[in-house]
Amino acid sequence: MSVISVSNLSKHYEIHKKEPGIAGSLKSLFARKYETIKAVENISFEINEGELVGFIGPNGAGKTTTLKCLSGLLYPTKGRISVLGLTPFDRKKEFLKQISLIMGQKNQLWWDLPAIDTFLLNKEIYEIPNNQYKKILDELSILLEVTDLIKVPVKKLSLGERMKMELIAALLHSPKVLFLDEPTIGLDVVMQKKLREFIREYNKRYKATIILTSHYMGDVEELCKRVIVINSGKIIFDGTISNLVKQYAPYKLITVLFKEYVDPKKISDLGIVKRFVYPQLVLHVKNDKVNDVASDILKNFSVDDLTIEDPQIEDVIREVFHKSNSQ
Amino acid sequence: MKKYMLVAKNTWSEMLTYRLNFVMWRVRTVFQFLTVYFLWLAVLPEKARIGDYTQALMLTYILGTSLISSIVFSTRTIDIGEEINEGNLSNFLLRPVNFFLYFVARDAGDKAMNISFAIFELTILFLILKPPFFLQTDLLFILFFIIAIFFAFIMYFFVSVLLGFIGFWSPEVWGPRFIFFILISFFAGGLFPLDILPKTVFKVFELLPFFYFLYFPLKIYLGQVATSQVLVGFLVSSFWVFILYKTVQMVWIKGLRVYTAVGR
Repeated sequence: MSVISVSNLSKHYEIHKKEPGIAGSLKSLFARKYETIKAVENISFEINEGELVGFIGPNGAGKTTTLKCLSGLLYPTKGRISVLGLTPFDRKKEFLKQISLIMGQKNQLWWDLPAIDTFLLNKEIYEIPNNQYKKILDELSILLEVTDLIKVPVKKLSLGERMKMELIAALLHSPKVLFLDEPTIGLDVVMQKKLREFIREYNKRYKATIILTSHYMGDVEELCKRVIVINSGKIIFDGTISNLVKQYAPYKLITVLFKEYVDPKKISDLGIVKRFVYPQLVLHVKNDKVNDVASDILKNFSVDDLTIEDPQIEDVIREVFHKSNSQ
Repeated sequence: MKKYMLVAKNTWSEMLTYRLNFVMWRVRTVFQFLTVYFLWLAVLPEKARIGDYTQALMLTYILGTSLISSIVFSTRTIDIGEEINEGNLSNFLLRPVNFFLYFVARDAGDKAMNISFAIFELTILFLILKPPFFLQTDLLFILFFIIAIFFAFIMYFFVSVLLGFIGFWSPEVWGPRFIFFILISFFAGGLFPLDILPKTVFKVFELLPFFYFLYFPLKIYLGQVATSQVLVGFLVSSFWVFILYKTVQMVWIKGLRVYTAVGR
């Protein structure tokens, strides 16, 4: 059953442009130039219960706008959205009680008060039963290692600690649908990993449907089977990561460590040379030729080590955007 | 309902975090109060009259307005414009919480704190200065007075919310608010009692909501409004509450459609 269904969604903004300086400000006081920005243009997709989908795109691609439409913050210019069978913009209580939008830089915590005060308020707002509240709060604060910090005024916390508190505040009501916009922003590497594990666990345990955007491809690669790639407001790919790689980067990386010096000329016809600094060579080789090339190398050169890898997801994504921009 | 109690409580704790700030704010209020008091005490000789106002009535009026305006006009809703412009409004929209009740609760917390301090300070000032104030003793008038203040609070709340909603369409929310501050002290009778004005002007003022922000409650306190007129006043206030409420609702719905949740 599809939990999220989006058909022909468009969101346009009117913004006014101002030239720099005082002269520009004065000019814009009298004659204001408006421009319509098509943040999202005619996108459609369906997401099933329990799916964990990655939303990828460069800055300004329309990822956050889409999430804001899905969570009922923005009124769509065109199109239909249904989340859990409800229209987000109506912001019915039963809808709001089942969703959460977590943004890396959002602040729902009371700045001057300890985080626990916000948690208690959310407990009332979401009508969370006592025992459930205690259980989830304990679980989350132990997992995120902030047990000692929930009674410290929020303004005294570091960016990463605040992010963790935001997460707890947003998850106390165990939402069925989670929109995560850059959730690992500001967290150190260890915490990023923990948070990823937590998201995966949360997805499994509550059968929660999750959409995640991130600049860290690591987040997406590790968590999501399915990705939706969006660029300039349009969906350019929707499918599994392995298909994305197959479609946009139908090659593998062969890394060779040579034992003795090799003439660079001999290498060039093996494949596309990405890097050659003796003794290491990195080659791009088409999928169907990988076996031949590898055995060639082993036969004709004296080799210390040889590895065959899929291309880095970052490189694949770069390729995707490059192609869609030049079209 | 408990959630809004908590909002009020959090507002209290928030104010107490900046204890020095709050104490300074109260000291400022007391000084303001004293300045105005001594000024008018010097200007008005004991037997002087302005219109129907004796020295005691005038002093009570002037000081009453500063007290009532500190109750009615102090509201957290002045933040709404910025909340919209900075995208913080999203925090309210994402949670099953009523935006308006949330702010009413914040105001309730804020006002409860300020009123309790004001009562405490005034009692002390009274005991020290023994000013020639008019004390209303008729319980009915005191009841009317409290109802009128309540109306004033609701009307001002809506007007202030509307000014904040400008933020949906423009980032310049402070300009209109400043103009409003200036106009209101005149139209509501914050500068002088409105019945000093010519009769025809006064009649027009009577129909505006601002009339009921300061002047009307104070006149009730002074016992200078007949019961029938009090009831008419409440009727006009109810009418404005209704109009303002409908306008706020309409603008809110329109505003949310253009809300862009920027920055976040």
